Amino acid sequence: MPMDKEKVIPSKYIPEVGSHIETINGKDYLITNDAMYTFYQRTKGEFSPFFLAIRDEKRLLGCKCSKCSLVRVPPFLTHCPDCNFAPTELIEVEQVGIMNTTPPITYFATSLFQDMAPYGRGRVIFRGADTAMSVNLYTTTGILVPGIIKKGTEVKLVFRDERIGEMTDVFCVPTAELSQEQINKKGLQESEIDWESPVEPEMPDVTAEDSSRYRDALEEMKTIIEQMNRNERAKKDIAGWKRGILVKTKGGAFTIFIDDGDIRVEEVQVSSPDFIMVCEDPRTLLDGLAYRGAITDSVINKKLWISKNTEFNTIFKLDRMARSVARSKKT
Amino acid sequence: MGKRVGIIGAGVTPFKGTWREKTYYELAQMAAREAVKDAQIDIHDVDAAFYGIYNDIFERAAIPEHAIHGLLGMQNKFGIRITNGGATGAYTMSAAHAYLAAGRFKTALVLGVEKATDCFDFSSMSATPEVIKSIGWSADSFFEQGIGWSASDSYAEVVLGYMDEYPGDLKPEVTAQISSQLSQQVRSNPYAQRQFDQVTPEEVMNSRLVAYPFKELEICVYTEGAAAVIFAEEETAKAISRNSGKPVVWITGVGEANEHSFAGKNQKVMSRIMSDYYGSHRAYEMAGIKDPKEAIDIVELHDAFVHQLEISMAEFGLVPLGKADALIEEGLMTPGGQYVVNPCGGLIYCGHAVGASNIMSAWSARNELIKRKLKTALVHGTGSTVAQYTTCLILEHA
Repeated sequence: MPMDKEKVIPSKYIPEVGSHIETINGKDYLITNDAMYTFYQRTKGEFSPFFLAIRDEKRLLGCKCSKCSLVRVPPFLTHCPDCNFAPTELIEVEQVGIMNTTPPITYFATSLFQDMAPYGRGRVIFRGADTAMSVNLYTTTGILVPGIIKKGTEVKLVFRDERIGEMTDVFCVPTAELSQEQINKKGLQESEIDWESPVEPEMPDVTAEDSSRYRDALEEMKTIIEQMNRNERAKKDIAGWKRGILVKTKGGAFTIFIDDGDIRVEEVQVSSPDFIMVCEDPRTLLDGLAYRGAITDSVINKKLWISKNTEFNTIFKLDRMARSVARSKKT
Repeated sequence: MGKRVGIIGAGVTPFKGTWREKTYYELAQMAAREAVKDAQIDIHDVDAAFYGIYNDIFERAAIPEHAIHGLLGMQNKFGIRITNGGATGAYTMSAAHAYLAAGRFKTALVLGVEKATDCFDFSSMSATPEVIKSIGWSADSFFEQGIGWSASDSYAEVVLGYMDEYPGDLKPEVTAQISSQLSQQVRSNPYAQRQFDQVTPEEVMNSRLVAYPFKELEICVYTEGAAAVIFAEEETAKAISRNSGKPVVWITGVGEANEHSFAGKNQKVMSRIMSDYYGSHRAYEMAGIKDPKEAIDIVELHDAFVHQLEISMAEFGLVPLGKADALIEEGLMTPGGQYVVNPCGGLIYCGHAVGASNIMSAWSARNELIKRKLKTALVHGTGSTVAQYTTCLILEHA
């Protein structure tokens, strides 16, 4: 999970200087590309020992109140407000803990974290601590889905290979997915873990029935995609977006092309798609496009495989288009 | 005990996904114009202005209210901006109430405005990821911003904490039914962003996961718009009411609380929204309400998420903790039930123009009390990380 840290703001987020006009009820309105930015040399102050211990020593620190002995991790204060500001001291805690509550999983992330989604973020009480630290949560087995990490699940703190003194230097995985040696190791790094890499699912042999089912589904899909192409709200959902998506199903393969407000399906297999979708039953994708269930959920439920998690963005847009068409029919 | 304070006028702009035709200057003035027209007073009769604007980044200005003050005709008078996360609007009303109850002013304009969806993500060519990114700057900046904190995942933490404690509650069928019901209620709100977006429970169940456990149709939508209410102390309120012919709706209780923002021992109780509990019960105490189940007729609740709506109703004492599904299963909030909940469609269907939302809720509660000839309403605002902030107001119509 490498992170682009070359620039504080990656170039893909930065628009060109420009403007455009939107016409509403016959009147023109001007919209300009703009930004509100401020750069920092950010003080870490009293938190410096905590972040330096993570970055340089792969240790986890907390602070212990000299009066009530409460151990707070991270050490977010130097004096305990519960004890009339009695001083605290830094102590080291263990790197295994349990989930304080079941963590949420973000599938639709903010623009800053779209490359990271889907991700869990939850609070872990490490051994020796009384308070919970907020961390990212991953599974070594692919996409994080509900049920893998719950309240009480034991997790291990893992350190990134490249660390910069931020909370992104660490994350947690369930200890159930690690060896005892890995669990016991202090300062376990991400490169010491076997991450399941995405492998394209193999397609079973095709029967005549599969081919027939594929043909029916494809015809219906073409009709729906034509509807999307005629729907202003749906076209707006893919404004400025370009993708070639190779879709492989049990009965055959085809490509969905998205091109700045237009969408079409062609029975060709592009050689360099932006990403690949694999669903054994073509109706899985069809149902999503027809607003009979979300494509996002089919990916989460492993009924539909995508070759790049970052393309959840495109999946959301397809779900959005399906809803836009359904919504337009109501009004 | 301070002076009695009441609402004597209110107005809102249409709530829309985007207002290309208006800046927030004009949206603010539109709502103010509607409010003074409703009260049948002149803006020069207003002594002070209280601005609810949540997020500098939305408005793209660090003191976004400064221009508005003169544009509303409030120059050379008291003006203050309140910003308290999602609870900004409710906290702004709380502040205005306190100044009037203390006798500092006779009348006050409480105005919320937000221009959220100018934020635009050029990497995905859509607004929403940038809108929620700008809200993401609200998180703790040392330990949580960098690891993907968002408003959704933060509230989901609390909802999942509640579900850990009460695994049989907040059933997907019930949250879907609540969303569907709100989508029906919004039909009668001509100012709503989604007035004609009626959905079935099945559609809600089938909508995509955004942040587990929230589905798309269980989450509020981001909105641009403004809302305004005019408060007056008792004697002034009665005089204005005599002139306008519209009854005063009195603010008889106000309660607030802000919780811890970290979790664990002696910190935030993740299975509860204690801010909702304290905020509502402090408001009941001030209003002299002993049994909220008996007293409350209408609830205008800040429904950022349907699941949170259910938990908030339990924290208000209107349904038992762990049995919030009774809101639907026992018909407590279904049409004809004990409580009228979010007749405006709530923030999920009317829209969430953050600083304006709770003021829009007060506008709705006041209108509904008068229209339905009911006595008591609870208006609620929630906000910040892990549902940390709450303000509740009790409105009464004699």
